[in-house]
Amino acid sequence: MHNRVDKFKETARAEMKNELSQAFLLMLSLGAPIMRQIGMSSFPDPAAAEAYGRAIRTESIERLPELLEEFKKNAQAKGAKVIWARDSAEAKASVLDIAKKRGINYITKGKSMVTEEIGLNEHLISNGVDVFETDLGEVITQMLSRAPFHIVGPALNVPPEEISAVFLKRGVIKQPTVNPVELGKAVREYMREKFRYLDMGIVGVNMAVAETGTIINVENEGNIRMNKSSPRTLVAIMSIEKVVPTMADALHMVRILSRNCTGQKLTGYVSMDTGPKKSDEMDGPEELFIIIVDNGRSEIYRDIKVREILKCIRCGACLNACPIYAKIGGYPYGFSYSGPMGQILNPMLLGIEHTSDLFRACTLCGACKKICPAGIDHPSIILEYRARQIKDRKHQTLSARFENNLATCSSLAMSSSMLWNLAVKTVRPLFNSLAEDGYIRDMPFGAKGWFSCRNLRAMPDKTFHEIWKKLNLPNPDDVRKKETL
Amino acid sequence: MKVSLFIPCTVDLMMPEIGVAVYRILSHLDTRPVYHSGQTCCGQPLYNAGYRDQAKRAARHFIKVFGDDEYIVSPSGSCVSTVKQHYAELLADEPSWCDRARNISKRMYELSQFIVDVLGITDVGASFEGKVTYHESCHIFRALGISEQPRKLIASVRGAELVELGNATACCGFGGEFSTGFPEISEAMVKAKAVNFINTGADVLLLNEPGCLLNISGYLHRNHPQKRSMHLATFLAENTREFSHA
Ligand code: SF4
Repeated sequence: MHNRVDKFKETARAEMKNELSQAFLLMLSLGAPIMRQIGMSSFPDPAAAEAYGRAIRTESIERLPELLEEFKKNAQAKGAKVIWARDSAEAKASVLDIAKKRGINYITKGKSMVTEEIGLNEHLISNGVDVFETDLGEVITQMLSRAPFHIVGPALNVPPEEISAVFLKRGVIKQPTVNPVELGKAVREYMREKFRYLDMGIVGVNMAVAETGTIINVENEGNIRMNKSSPRTLVAIMSIEKVVPTMADALHMVRILSRNCTGQKLTGYVSMDTGPKKSDEMDGPEELFIIIVDNGRSEIYRDIKVREILKCIRCGACLNACPIYAKIGGYPYGFSYSGPMGQILNPMLLGIEHTSDLFRACTLCGACKKICPAGIDHPSIILEYRARQIKDRKHQTLSARFENNLATCSSLAMSSSMLWNLAVKTVRPLFNSLAEDGYIRDMPFGAKGWFSCRNLRAMPDKTFHEIWKKLNLPNPDDVRKKETL
Repeated sequence: MKVSLFIPCTVDLMMPEIGVAVYRILSHLDTRPVYHSGQTCCGQPLYNAGYRDQAKRAARHFIKVFGDDEYIVSPSGSCVSTVKQHYAELLADEPSWCDRARNISKRMYELSQFIVDVLGITDVGASFEGKVTYHESCHIFRALGISEQPRKLIASVRGAELVELGNATACCGFGGEFSTGFPEISEAMVKAKAVNFINTGADVLLLNEPGCLLNISGYLHRNHPQKRSMHLATFLAENTREFSHA
C-alpha cells in the first residue's frame, strides 16, 4: 500500500515538470473522453442506458445490507466459502491463513484495487508467500515498486525503455526491446510458467450478483481468467459495494463499465464464476473463497451525505475528465485511488484530517459529476469534506482560529451593506497602494499564489454601489437622457 | 417588466463596468432594472471554502434583500448556481429559511439565459467587425446547463465571426482559494486556456463569468498584454450604439 497523501503538493510539482508524464496526460485527457463518447453512443439510446446504469447503482447501494446477505447465501449454496473482513488486517490474515494452511509458497494475482488498498502483496511477501501480479500494468508497477498512475491503467505512463530495462533485470527478457508486442509476449510466457504449477490465485471482483452468487470479472488481457481457472484454490476479494441485485443488472453494468473505461462495447474477456468446479466439470478451482472487505465502508454507508461514494464502479472516466488530474497524473494522490474518485473515497478511508489537499485541490468544475456513469456528485462531497474540516479544526490552531474569525468578519460585512461599503472604503486605499499603472503584480501577504502568473486590476475608484448611488436614478429613461451610464 | 439586478461582489468591487453594461442592456431591452443597494455578496467564497455557518449568514441576507422579486438577474453563473442550487441545502436545518431559499431559487436567472429564454431576444442590436471566441465557464455550462443562449447572443452580433475555442469547456483554473493554494496547477490550467485562445486567432475572448474573467484577463495582462478578454455583457453594451430601441 502506497500512502504518500501528505506529499500531494510536492509530487504534483514534480509531475508537472516531468515531460513524459505531461505528454502522456495530454494524450489521455484528449483521447479518453472521445473514446468514451464513441463507446456510449453505440447504445441505441445512450441517455436511457446511462440513466438505467445510475438507477442500478443507486438501488445496489440503498439495498446494500440486504443484497450482501443474499449474495452470501447464494454463493454459499453454490459451494463458495464466504468470509467477512471488517478491516484490512482481517482481510490480509484470512488470505495468509488460506495460503499457509495449504503450504503454498507463491500465488498469482489479477488486477485488484482493493488488494492495493489493504496492502495485501506486502503482507504476503513479508510472511514468506511470493506474489506475482499478472496484469501487464501491475507487473510493471510491481517491478518498479511504484504506485498506480491511473486506476485502470496503472503503468500507462511508463515508457517502453523503462519497461525493457526492468524486465531485463528481472529475467523476463533476454535482449532489450522497446517493441510493445514483444514485451507483452515475454510477460505472457513468463506468466504461463507460473500458471502451469499454480496452487492459489487471487482476483478482484467487478460485480457480485446477489441473485445468483456469481462473481464477474472484466479484463482485456486474459490473465484474470488464467488466475481463476488455473489454481486449485481461488480467492476472490471484493469490497462490499460491488454487489448488484440481478444478473440482468450486472450485464448492463458490464456494458456501461466497458464503455466508460476504455470506450469498448465489451472488454476482451468477461468471466463469471458461480461457486467452484462442480464434480462433472473439467476446469476451474476446487475451492473458491470470497472475501468481502468492509475496511471503513460501513461507515460510509451510514454517513448519508457521502453514501453515494459507494456507487463507484471504478471505471476511471472521472480521472480522464478531471482538468487537475490532466495536469498532475495519479501519483500526487498518494494512494491506490486517484483523481476525483480518489478525492472522495480516500478522505473516508484515511481520515479527513490527513487528506486536506485532496479535497482542496479542486475547482468544483463539475466535469467528474457530468461524466460519472454511477451518478456521483463529486463536488458536493468535496464541499462536505471542506465544511467538516473547518468545523473540526476551527478552534484548534492559531491560524485556524484566525481564518475562522476572518470568515466571520466577512460574513458580517456581507450581511450589512453599510458595513460592506465601509469595509470597501477602508480596504481600497491599502489594496491599491500595491498597484502600479492600475495593476497589482505581487502581494506581500495573503493571496500570494495568485500573483505567480497573474496580475490583478487595482480596485476602480467607484464600486457599482457607489456608481448607482451617484446616479440615484432607477428609471432607465432618465438615465438614457443623461448618458452617464 | 421589473428586473432585479444581483451584481456579484467581484463585479461590484473589481469590475463595476460589467454591472453598468448589464444595466444598459436590460434598459435597452425595455425592461426596468432595479438595484437593491442593500445587496452584498451571495456568500459563495465562504461556502466553497467550507465556512458554512458564515455562508448561512450571507445567504439569509441575500434572501432578505431580494424578497419576492420576480426576476433576479445576475451576470455570474457561479453566483446564480450558489443561490439556486446550494442555498436550500445550506439552510436545511432552518426550515423557514430553507423554504424561502427554495422559492427564490426559481426566480434566479443568469443574464444570457434571461435575455434569450425569458425575454425571447437573441439580437440586442450590437455590431462588431472581427473574430470572437467563447469560453464555456464551468458553472454556466455544467452547473446551469447554459451554452446555447450566450452563443445565440454572440451569433446575432452583426459582423462578428464566432470561432470555436479549443477545449472550450475545460476549467480555466481559478476555483477561488484553489488558485492560491495550488498556484502551479492553476497556472497550468489558465495557460492552456490562453494558448487555446491565441490559437483561434480571435480578437476577443468572451465569457460570462466574472471569476473566470479576473483569472484569464489577469493572466493575459501579465503574459500576453495585447490579447483581450471581456464579459459578454460589456462586449454587447460597448458595441451597441443605438440605444433608442428600434
Ligand atoms: S466516480 Fe464515477 S466516473 Fe469516477 S471511477 Fe467511479 S464510477 Fe467511474
